[in-house]
Amino acid sequence: MNPVIRREFIGILRSPRAFGMLACLTLVFSVAVLMRWPSDASVDLSGLQSLQVFRIFGYGLMTGVVFLVPAFPATSLVNEKNSGTLALLLNSPMNGASIYLGKISGVLLFSVLVLLCSLPASAACYAMGGIGGDKFFFLYLVLALLALQYSTLGMLVSSYVQSSDSAVRITYAAVFGLLFLTLLPDVFFRGTGVGGDFTAVIGNWIRNLSPLPAVMEIMGQGNVGSFGLKTLPGFTGFVVLALLSSSVLAYWTIMRLNHRIFDQSRSKGVITNEMATRWQVLRRLFFIVDPQRRKGGIPWYLNPVMVKEFRCRRFGRAQWLLRLVSVCAVTSMVLTYMAAAGITSWGVETIGALLVLLQVMLVIVLAPSLGSGLISGERDSGGWELLRMTPISSFRLISGKLMSVVWTLLLVLMATLPGYAMMVLIAPELTLQVQQVLVCLLWTSVYALAISAAVGSLFRSTAVSTSITYVVVIAVFLIPLLVWLGRDAPFGFETVETALLTTPVGAALSVIDAPGFGAYELLPLAWWVSGILSSVMFLVLGVQVWRLSRAV
Amino acid sequence: MSVSESNAVIQIDQLTKQYGEFTALDSLSMEVRQGQILGFIGPNGAGKTTTIKILVGLLRPTSGRASIAGADCVTESRKIKKLVGYMPDDFGKYNNMRVSEYLDFFGAVYGISRKPRLKRVDEVLEIAGATYMKDLFVDALSRGMQQRVALARTMMHDPEVLILDEPANGLDPQARIDMRTLLLRLSEMGKTLIVTSHILPELARVCDVVAMITKGRMRAFGTVDSIMRDIQQRRTFEIQLLDRDSVLQATAAVQAWLDAQAGHEKGGPGKATGAEAEQMVRFNTSLADDAIAPLLAELVQQGQPVSQFREVATDLEDAFLHVANEEQQSPVAQQSGEVAAS
Repeated sequence: MNPVIRREFIGILRSPRAFGMLACLTLVFSVAVLMRWPSDASVDLSGLQSLQVFRIFGYGLMTGVVFLVPAFPATSLVNEKNSGTLALLLNSPMNGASIYLGKISGVLLFSVLVLLCSLPASAACYAMGGIGGDKFFFLYLVLALLALQYSTLGMLVSSYVQSSDSAVRITYAAVFGLLFLTLLPDVFFRGTGVGGDFTAVIGNWIRNLSPLPAVMEIMGQGNVGSFGLKTLPGFTGFVVLALLSSSVLAYWTIMRLNHRIFDQSRSKGVITNEMATRWQVLRRLFFIVDPQRRKGGIPWYLNPVMVKEFRCRRFGRAQWLLRLVSVCAVTSMVLTYMAAAGITSWGVETIGALLVLLQVMLVIVLAPSLGSGLISGERDSGGWELLRMTPISSFRLISGKLMSVVWTLLLVLMATLPGYAMMVLIAPELTLQVQQVLVCLLWTSVYALAISAAVGSLFRSTAVSTSITYVVVIAVFLIPLLVWLGRDAPFGFETVETALLTTPVGAALSVIDAPGFGAYELLPLAWWVSGILSSVMFLVLGVQVWRLSRAV
Repeated sequence: MSVSESNAVIQIDQLTKQYGEFTALDSLSMEVRQGQILGFIGPNGAGKTTTIKILVGLLRPTSGRASIAGADCVTESRKIKKLVGYMPDDFGKYNNMRVSEYLDFFGAVYGISRKPRLKRVDEVLEIAGATYMKDLFVDALSRGMQQRVALARTMMHDPEVLILDEPANGLDPQARIDMRTLLLRLSEMGKTLIVTSHILPELARVCDVVAMITKGRMRAFGTVDSIMRDIQQRRTFEIQLLDRDSVLQATAAVQAWLDAQAGHEKGGPGKATGAEAEQMVRFNTSLADDAIAPLLAELVQQGQPVSQFREVATDLEDAFLHVANEEQQSPVAQQSGEVAAS
């Protein structure tokens, strides 16, 4: 047996985190099936009830794979590299391919365990009748391929990055992109479907990189985003693309598993101020805020911890923020212009919904990335003890850290203001709705930040805090939308409304009158709920900071 | 063991720290005067870091008192933070920050205003011999460079007392010499220093006083020489002979002389051993120099071919090993060993 497989698999199994995950999954699946188990003596011959259970089970299982699987491969190689054991492995008679095979097999065996945990629930679901065994087979096949695709992706990311938390961040962002953003090109370029114009075909293929169309097809819910047009079957497309992409990603990573993986001597610091004037001017034009210029001291009116947070984040630095803000601004303007110029027949409501979703996605990707490591990052690097030694108060410390995230999220939110302004220009009667939507988005940011900072502060290792925070934040924002997807069956109106109340996203979509959300009255209760929950989270953060700062 | 000095900057009095049943510090007392360099040594887990953390206000003692420049380490932690510069073993790096930005941040956190702070960054870099690192990224520095930057960071707010945990760790020989010079320079500047290190010869060269602790208890405190005197009650001498045939005879002669002096020895007569391969006789004794001098005269008189007669120099390492071994052989340690064995 490949020794790496044994070590990886046993290593994962020994982690209390993995055990907790498996136990939780088994419990969740069982409860989900029990909740929809027929309570009366009548038999549902139509199979509708078992289909409802199967859908909850299928989407839940997919969500489990999407959340749980990427964290392990993402940290696998980078942890090995940083602890020096990868050098030992590469120095052994094992070659890159066998090391890779060993590591990925360990992760995949864990994924198999995740899927096995669902077997009792799926057996119960099957026993209800009405669902063919082939549907279960196809669902498990898609999920197994999904685990393979995300594992190979995580391993590739892990081979490039320098720290485990950035590996987790980038992998989850990529997974998120593969899951949702791949659906967008098809929406924009859809035409005659297969055999039609080139862009439509490409858009259709890209769409099939996401497991959603395949799973929806298995669930008998048609193709998401296909609008009734004939498209490449989601299942076949996904199987082909998952196998192909996994092979490419695996080959790519194996090619990197040699001495060159350590060959990353970092620039010790070229300073723009010491370059020729023409280079200085060029860099100023390109970056606007040049990251390599020599900085002045931190001014008295700024919280030094906030400035430090901005400076020591690669992505948080001003030039990146400006680029992000520009992309958001341009996207929102283009979307609104398309609606105004009649390029699409979506109407202002759909454009509004797209803008809201775009911002929510950015907030969900950014908030855990920036907020989860506020405390754990310091503890991991040894900076926490240094900060405790300084006269800075805990309040100033944590407020500086939180403000560094607040400013970033605010900039992202403000970047889409031009789009909303254009929307108000097109339909002035929407002014109040747009204002309410913006308040909802503000609450979304505060809520996401509060969860990220509070959950992240509970862990010592940045990688663990980042992965768990992503899982929690995505779950908090995605589960209500999944419940909304089942709004006619299995969930009733009240259940969906209650689920949507738990985050301000549903309220924003309802206010903008997005298709399917108009019927729910969520304001102002959704603001109160998110306000109270955010306060609780900030309280948890405060208690944790107090606990870590005091002398015992 | 309790040590008391006048005009002390650092005062530790009966300091005890307990974690449940485990006693990390047991009635530790000592004082360090201004400008002194205290070498704080002990095996791993002896309680050095616990003592330091109490001194810098990161831990609270179970009982006892610690103060720095009159400020109580428990109740006046804000004052303490301004008075003390602490350099932990862990560097505490921030990614993507240049050395100047890193020091600027810590200066700002200590409340130094912008202009003097920028000036101070240059000053501390110069003192630490790290001016050339100013524009480098902190995370790209080697271990030795990091140690210099860490020292610069510790000095940013110009503290009266510097507490350095393993400052010579990971340094190459040249960097160690530089660090030693730097510590002496800081002492000349009037700073009081507490330095922990496992490289004892290095420590012996710079420290004015040494504190040795094991299992949370102070075992020895004082100058290196006084500790040697206290600990090494028996000194070892070597007699180098010109040929190996005389070794047995010379050994017998030395042993006979030592037996004759038994009445003046503390703890019984000394013991002589011969090493034919080395053409040498070794003996240990508690006699003073003037009492030992007649031995050489007697050997020469007997016609022993003596080429050298010398005392084996003991250093801090020997003293430390002596203390550590004594601790292991103590009844408490033996009892715990028996419990572990059973």
